[in-house]
Amino acid sequence: MSSPGRADGDARDLAVRLTVNGRPVSGVAGAHLTLLRWLRDVAGVTDPKYGCGEGICGACTVLVDGEAVSSCLVLAAQVDGTEVVTAAGLCEPGGSLGALQRAFHEFHAAQCGFCTPGMLMAAAAMLADGRRRSRAQIRSELHGNLCRCTGYGPIVDAVEAALRAVRSDPDQPGPPAGAEAAAQ
Amino acid sequence: MFTRPFRYERAERLAEASDLLRQHGEDAKVIAGGQSLMPLINLGLAAPQVVIDISRAEQSGGSRAIGSDDGYLTVGALVTHARLAADPVAGQAQPLLGAAAARIGNSRVRNRGTLGGSLAHSDPAAELPLAMVTVGAEYEVSNGNRARSVRAEEFHLGFLTTPLEADELIVSARVPSLGPGWGWAFEEFSRRDGDFALAAAAALIRSSAGVIVEARVAVGGVSDRPVRLADVEIALSGATMREAADRVGAVRGISPVSDTGASAAYRAHLARVLVRRAVTEAGRRSETADV
Repeated sequence: MSSPGRADGDARDLAVRLTVNGRPVSGVAGAHLTLLRWLRDVAGVTDPKYGCGEGICGACTVLVDGEAVSSCLVLAAQVDGTEVVTAAGLCEPGGSLGALQRAFHEFHAAQCGFCTPGMLMAAAAMLADGRRRSRAQIRSELHGNLCRCTGYGPIVDAVEAALRAVRSDPDQPGPPAGAEAAAQ
Repeated sequence: MFTRPFRYERAERLAEASDLLRQHGEDAKVIAGGQSLMPLINLGLAAPQVVIDISRAEQSGGSRAIGSDDGYLTVGALVTHARLAADPVAGQAQPLLGAAAARIGNSRVRNRGTLGGSLAHSDPAAELPLAMVTVGAEYEVSNGNRARSVRAEEFHLGFLTTPLEADELIVSARVPSLGPGWGWAFEEFSRRDGDFALAAAAALIRSSAGVIVEARVAVGGVSDRPVRLADVEIALSGATMREAADRVGAVRGISPVSDTGASAAYRAHLARVLVRRAVTEAGRRSETADV
């Protein structure tokens, strides 16, 4: 790839191969690119947003091998070979909204929308482990994602509803029924 | 976000990272979790020519292990905060470490951030250096050829300042296990969950028949390093649990700063309040600890 203004650009370029939302993507780009910039500029996946660059706002949250990370604080090179899921990866195979996205829509959990892709991924990390959470625990686990519009109430409502839906839907991944009984 | 380009080197072993550090000198920075270095790079406060990645380095010298043996807990430098906070062996041997790790940043920071990274960065408000000073940890440090051990109190020298040589890396931290009759507590105050602590306090207390026999107390965020409070430790000796908090006088030997987060006077006030809470809680736990 071309590197305008970089005399020795080639020496600092690097091939990275990722699976992004189920799709293999590879590209040669500057080794200094964060995962966020690599996703946006190399892979063309623009739902993760650049907010603060310090890991505080959560707008760039993605899952790397199932774990929530700030994609602005990890180099693409560091996670070469991993599986990355962004908010777009939460859609159904046909492209319609997934359960978590539908809950955000239903509860008006987005206003300007800038924080939404990160909020969805923070919620997706919660959904993935299937653990029961109180409203206070949901709030606490969302504390690394900032929203300047909604006042958070509708977001917590949406996550709560989505968690409840996953737990009552036998087709969704989650702990077996026995685990639920044991937890009560 | 539009950072200056740099070269990326992936070290397969920690010793290889030391070789690369010798080769590139001042131009190189080591990255593991990246939760301190990447903000500095993104904000333009650091501009390395070479970034040496140890996040995928293979296990060497226990760098990825958590183990408890012979009265000591050893935690590898590449152990993430999330793992340390959840690890049952660490929680059993020295619960103060996991409690401190659980208070760091947010879940994304804890998923990537590593013990070695936090210790080597040596931010005066960071949780793990405070916990390590309180428990009397020693860090195993190596340059690939020569290993040495540095006491936590002699490692955190000042703001982002440590005695690490240019080619040295932390391999692990070795911590005395919590003995019988000891209680622990970690207290911090920040304006919002996940913010840097305006002040923090940690305490270990051993009691017998309701009387404090031994105490280790330190504060963070109110000086250029974590500070052990010898005055407080001495004053606590012989106190009953009811007396403990009131034996905490003025917190001496600290030098809090005023900034946009809080005034120096408020930080000093917080330090005393948090020390009182920590010794009360550690004392309470010591009474219910196995003797």
